[in-house]
Amino acid sequence: MAAVSPKERVVVVTQSSLLVFLYIFLYFPIFFIIYVSFVDNTVWPFPPVFTWEWYERLWIMSDFHLGLLNSFLIGIGTGALSSIFAASAAIGLLKYQSRLRGLFAVLYLSPLFVAGILIGISSLMFHRNILGLPGNLTSAILANTTQALSFAFLVILAQLTRYDWRMDEAAMVFGARPARCFWEVTLPTIWPSVLGAFLVSFILAFNNLEVTFYNVGAIPTLPTIAWGTLRHGIEPELYSLAAVINGLVFFILIILFFLIRIGFVRLGYRGQ
Amino acid sequence: MVSFRELRQSPNFRFVMLTLPGALFLLIFLVLPLISILVFSFWRTESYQLIADWNIENYKTILGQKTYLTFMWRSLVMAVSVSLVCLIYAYPVAYLVAKRGGRYRLILVLLTAAPFFTGIILRVTAMQQILGPIGLLNMALQAFGFEPIQILMYSNVASAIGLVYLWIPFMVLAIYLSLLNFNFELLEVAYVNGAKPWRAFLEITWPLNWIGTAIGIVLVFIPTFAAFVTPRFLGGVNGALYGNILEHQFGATGTWALGSAMGVVLFFICLIFIMIIWRTINLQRSGYTGEEF
Repeated sequence: MAAVSPKERVVVVTQSSLLVFLYIFLYFPIFFIIYVSFVDNTVWPFPPVFTWEWYERLWIMSDFHLGLLNSFLIGIGTGALSSIFAASAAIGLLKYQSRLRGLFAVLYLSPLFVAGILIGISSLMFHRNILGLPGNLTSAILANTTQALSFAFLVILAQLTRYDWRMDEAAMVFGARPARCFWEVTLPTIWPSVLGAFLVSFILAFNNLEVTFYNVGAIPTLPTIAWGTLRHGIEPELYSLAAVINGLVFFILIILFFLIRIGFVRLGYRGQ
Repeated sequence: MVSFRELRQSPNFRFVMLTLPGALFLLIFLVLPLISILVFSFWRTESYQLIADWNIENYKTILGQKTYLTFMWRSLVMAVSVSLVCLIYAYPVAYLVAKRGGRYRLILVLLTAAPFFTGIILRVTAMQQILGPIGLLNMALQAFGFEPIQILMYSNVASAIGLVYLWIPFMVLAIYLSLLNFNFELLEVAYVNGAKPWRAFLEITWPLNWIGTAIGIVLVFIPTFAAFVTPRFLGGVNGALYGNILEHQFGATGTWALGSAMGVVLFFICLIFIMIIWRTINLQRSGYTGEEF
């Protein structure tokens, strides 16, 4: 790094303090709610009186197991659909220099610019009144996939821009058909980004409220249980629920981080 | 006539085979639903049933009644202020990480994005635990003998803080990704030629990264304008926003047609906002070279 003038140092220190404060702002509420989930005196937990009660109450909560299972199913269904569509689209867009690719890229990214609640209510109306599909897991997976697909597409696209398509050409020159080329050359190289896209869309659908709520009918999922509980005021079970989900999300994000690193290495990235 | 065999081997055919499945999915499950609420918005609802009786009463209600316009105005003010706060805060942070993050910049930026994945409802719960009347902040103030800060309890300010909390990761990410491809040496050239830092920022950094910044603004504006969870749990009695009355139509009242019309209005307000932002983008001024990726 080049020498920093005193004036520049003031700027860097200011920016760094902003960054540190942003981390505190983002993480303090999350860690505080995890801390509170372990204490009995939740309103003013100083000094803490530790207890497992909120976890026990969460465990015996009638809808908890079902909600967890349903959220998992919605996450896996959405993750699978999104990552397959997104991988296929990203490969098509980057491998073949079609004139239409700008148009397709816009279409694939468009769900990012539609508000979640709008996707929720429009899918509800469309599924129920036109497809005759009542609110259930299928309906929720289909609606969630629209938004998750964009995120999955971004994740794969960001990594695939480093992919060297000459490897595919080489395989084709030696007589491999496109399908074989995909299974034996492309996929073994890009799998971390596809798995990363799966995990991102899994988490988004697992935690989604505004799309899932309108499309899942009366079936409980973890976010809809939390929404229902919160409407009657904050209850301590919510703390343990939040702690469990946050733990799960951060576990998946750590896997994701290593996948990105593996992806960089596999795609021939060797630092700056 | 092209034989099927030749067609199968053409790059265009392969391009279409790979990109079409997802595109069709989006057309059926994103675009058609949006068109369907446009159609339903011209119908009416009677005892929880949609009736195909074409009329524009729903739009007259939304655009003519003061209540709806008030909610719309509140949401607009909220969305503009939250986007501005996010922009002003996120820019220096993204700048720092992109310019000086070095080998740590991936982890530094992912750390700002990570909380986004824990879901809206839990993040709002966490925020309520801090800002609410029996939240940490107020209890701490009372424990040390201070008056509670009324404005942070169940108010539009609390909603705004909650919304910044939810969506600032998008702004940081968008600006960061733009700055990643920005050549910081351009600034050195400007300095050597005598430009002051603020002038170099306004004439080089800001315009050359405006597309990324604009995408960040839109990505914060839209979910904030449509917000319903945050105002409901942090906004208090007078904190309801457009999203709340929209949500209400699909809940207890079951007025699907009016709700659809409100959804259509929401869609068009966001579209107008995107178009206004789009008009400010000058591709040549943004360093666009004609390459798409």
